Amino acid sequence: MILFEEYKKVKRLGFFPALFTGSLLTAAIPIINMAFRGQLYLDQQASPIQILLAANWQMMAMLNLLLTLSGSCILYHAEYADNAMEKLKTLPLRESSVFLGKAVLMVCSMTAVFAVEAAAIAFCSCFWFEAGDGFAKELCESFGYSLFLTLPCMVLSLLISQACRNMWVSLGIGVICVFTATLLPANSFVLSLFPFAIPFQILPAAGASGAVRYLCAAAAGFAIFILAEPVLRNIRRSFE
Amino acid sequence: MSFALLVSIEFKKIKHSKILPILLAAAVILWVPSLLNSHLNFEMQAEGISPEHNFFIQGFMGMCWFMFPASMVVVTVLLIQTERANRGMLKMLSLPISAVKLSLAKFAVLLALAAIQILMTGGIYYLSAAAASEAEHYSFVLPPLFVFKNIGPLYAAAIPMLAFFWMLAVCIRAPIFSIGIGLSSIVPSVLVINTKAWFAYPMSYPFFVITSEYGRLTANLDTAQVELVPWIPAAAAITILCLVASCLFFGQAERR
Repeated sequence: MILFEEYKKVKRLGFFPALFTGSLLTAAIPIINMAFRGQLYLDQQASPIQILLAANWQMMAMLNLLLTLSGSCILYHAEYADNAMEKLKTLPLRESSVFLGKAVLMVCSMTAVFAVEAAAIAFCSCFWFEAGDGFAKELCESFGYSLFLTLPCMVLSLLISQACRNMWVSLGIGVICVFTATLLPANSFVLSLFPFAIPFQILPAAGASGAVRYLCAAAAGFAIFILAEPVLRNIRRSFE
Repeated sequence: MSFALLVSIEFKKIKHSKILPILLAAAVILWVPSLLNSHLNFEMQAEGISPEHNFFIQGFMGMCWFMFPASMVVVTVLLIQTERANRGMLKMLSLPISAVKLSLAKFAVLLALAAIQILMTGGIYYLSAAAASEAEHYSFVLPPLFVFKNIGPLYAAAIPMLAFFWMLAVCIRAPIFSIGIGLSSIVPSVLVINTKAWFAYPMSYPFFVITSEYGRLTANLDTAQVELVPWIPAAAAITILCLVASCLFFGQAERR
């Protein structure tokens, strides 16, 4: 019900076409890379998914982060423009349900984005490499892992957008967070847990034990940000 | 109404927008890793670049590849959304002032904020270079003339990119598309600078300029150098086209 209401709100904002276009752009990265520099990767000794993600995921994750950021800014911009948020508060609705509705919408939309990107990786694997046994399982695991690691970033982006009435402030804070993530050293486990840095991790690079640590950290981050929402909302209200 | 007065009015509109703290925060965050890792600059001497030059150029490369273009996308959102909220654009167009002038005044503010961010980055560079000098007992501080000689061309190179971002903000009414295209156009610039067609992609100009300067300062590194032809004609054409489009489309939806 909440999800349907949120879907109706964003239908005319260009949210879905923008995410779809963004997913096509992101999906084009491995295809273009293989088309122009395929020889660099064809001789490498690893599974096709590992090779392709190692070569392209940094840029793909960056675009995913920017999609998440702009998407969350728009979701709340629609509420703050023309004081729709004030009208929403007069309705017999729990305020937290608005946030949760947007979070669910964002997760569903980004799942579709990741599916398009997974299709591109599958295409590259079949066209330029030989997809062996267990390819589909490995693809699902890799993209499921990446999607899970992006969850804290999605919720945090929504929290920032909810906290800032003006879109340029939330976008500015988000851009600073993405920029900070690019500056953090990749070899430090603690620093790579920064919500905007953790989506740059890939399953093969993390290794079995590392993967579990990152999954636990992402789950904890997601839970903390969800629980923080009512607290931050109350703090914000006290300043209004 | 004179153009200068229009620009000053535009500045008054964004006085309480909190854009300057955002630009400052980005500039501060940029130099923190450089300061913390200042000892690594000595290792780059093997490549034929002095530690103080490496400290300066690495920081500005970090700025040009993502932070500066992304901050400018944020500024365009600020400039256009302040008018679209509460039907400000309609009120502005009802004044006896040419829409072209209004669009150019806003672009002038964008240029000014770009200059402010580059100067802020330069200012924080001096603070962090002084702190790094203290920590490493080696002077990382470069003469102001050298710094201005580098950030001046960088700013000039950013003008076509700013015109492109302004055109996106004006012509595309759905903010998610203008923001999305603006931000996603930054990411491939790191690849585009390695192609022969880099001059056709304005988002790569600042990064290309700073990378070529890095190559010039490093004895053992060969990077592509700036060639004024075909760059200047291409940059001028892109800037003019983008500005003409933004002037034509400024407030067009509201005028219907």
